[in-house]
Amino acid sequence: MSIQNPRVNVSVAMNSFRSARPRIWARALFLLAIGAPLMFSPTPARGQASPTPQAAPSVVQTDVKLVIGGEKVKNNSVGTLSVVGSSLQFATGKAKVEVEASAIQDISTNEDSRQDITGAAHFATMAIPYGGGRALALFSHQVDVLTLQFKDANGGFHGAIFVLPQGQGAPFKKQLVAMGAKASVPLAEPPPTDK
Amino acid sequence: MKHHTRVAVSCISPVVLACAFLLIVGPLWGQTGSGDSKSAQKFSASSIQIEPTDPGDVRMPPEFRMAIYENLITQIEKTGKFQHVYRSGDKDAASAPDLVTLHTTARAFNKGSQKKREVTTVTGSTSMTLNVRITDHAGQPLVDRDVQGKVRFMGENLRATYDFSKKVAHIVRDTTF
Repeated sequence: MSIQNPRVNVSVAMNSFRSARPRIWARALFLLAIGAPLMFSPTPARGQASPTPQAAPSVVQTDVKLVIGGEKVKNNSVGTLSVVGSSLQFATGKAKVEVEASAIQDISTNEDSRQDITGAAHFATMAIPYGGGRALALFSHQVDVLTLQFKDANGGFHGAIFVLPQGQGAPFKKQLVAMGAKASVPLAEPPPTDK
Repeated sequence: MKHHTRVAVSCISPVVLACAFLLIVGPLWGQTGSGDSKSAQKFSASSIQIEPTDPGDVRMPPEFRMAIYENLITQIEKTGKFQHVYRSGDKDAASAPDLVTLHTTARAFNKGSQKKREVTTVTGSTSMTLNVRITDHAGQPLVDRDVQGKVRFMGENLRATYDFSKKVAHIVRDTTF
């Protein structure tokens, strides 16, 4: 049994490859011509509900307490306050309150202090002997109080009070005023830092 | 001796009876003309409109004014005295036939301090006095009196607004509209 070396006609193979090359290029160009407009067209992503994409919140603050004034949200609820699009939003796990910046009649920020120990724990401190509970009342932290006055669609006057961590009220006021909210007291400029 | 006793009793007893009569009738007589919450006059009103608190000459922070306004709406709704409780500026209030309006004007305000209250017990109380005026459709006052709200021992400063609103709700509940 003899093993014969297979003869391969290299010149024929090269010629067929060379003849196929223009066809591949033509197909690539054709696909590119069809695909390019599709690649750059603003097609909505799958699962996007609204035709216009929702703007990302520009100012966000978590652990904000809504003291009073949330129609659907209970008083003293804690949630996230954000400026989304042209409105101020306060969202808890269950409900959401939204106020258009243009509907805000007045916005003001103020400083206050809150006790570190609140709720049931605060009542428990009262049982500490020798005035220990009173001593614990000394521990408090500064907060910013953001107060809004706005009108609803029917012209009804509303008020809402939010308690934020210290120094976080001013960015909200600045952003909302820039979007058309009114403020009777202008935002104080930060003092210049001497270097 | 017996004769003297009889004379004394016969003289004193009409005086005592007259005093008792004045004690009973006097306060009632005074109330009828005052136009206060316990007035005997009757007004027909099924809706009330709450106006925002007027700070007047008193420096009251905006959060306290807003808290008073919102607490008043909540507390007056809770009384169940009115079919509709309208906010200030509500367009629907214009068509209400028997509308009364609640105005509040600040008279005095002391912010106090929660920390001071809880450490010392005797200082740092938050207190406010506001004039409460309820007027009818023609602007005639039905209630006109000063009401105080305060927090003395425990709680945040804004709790004084809740105390004030509860007292106003009591006045509204007791008033015959």
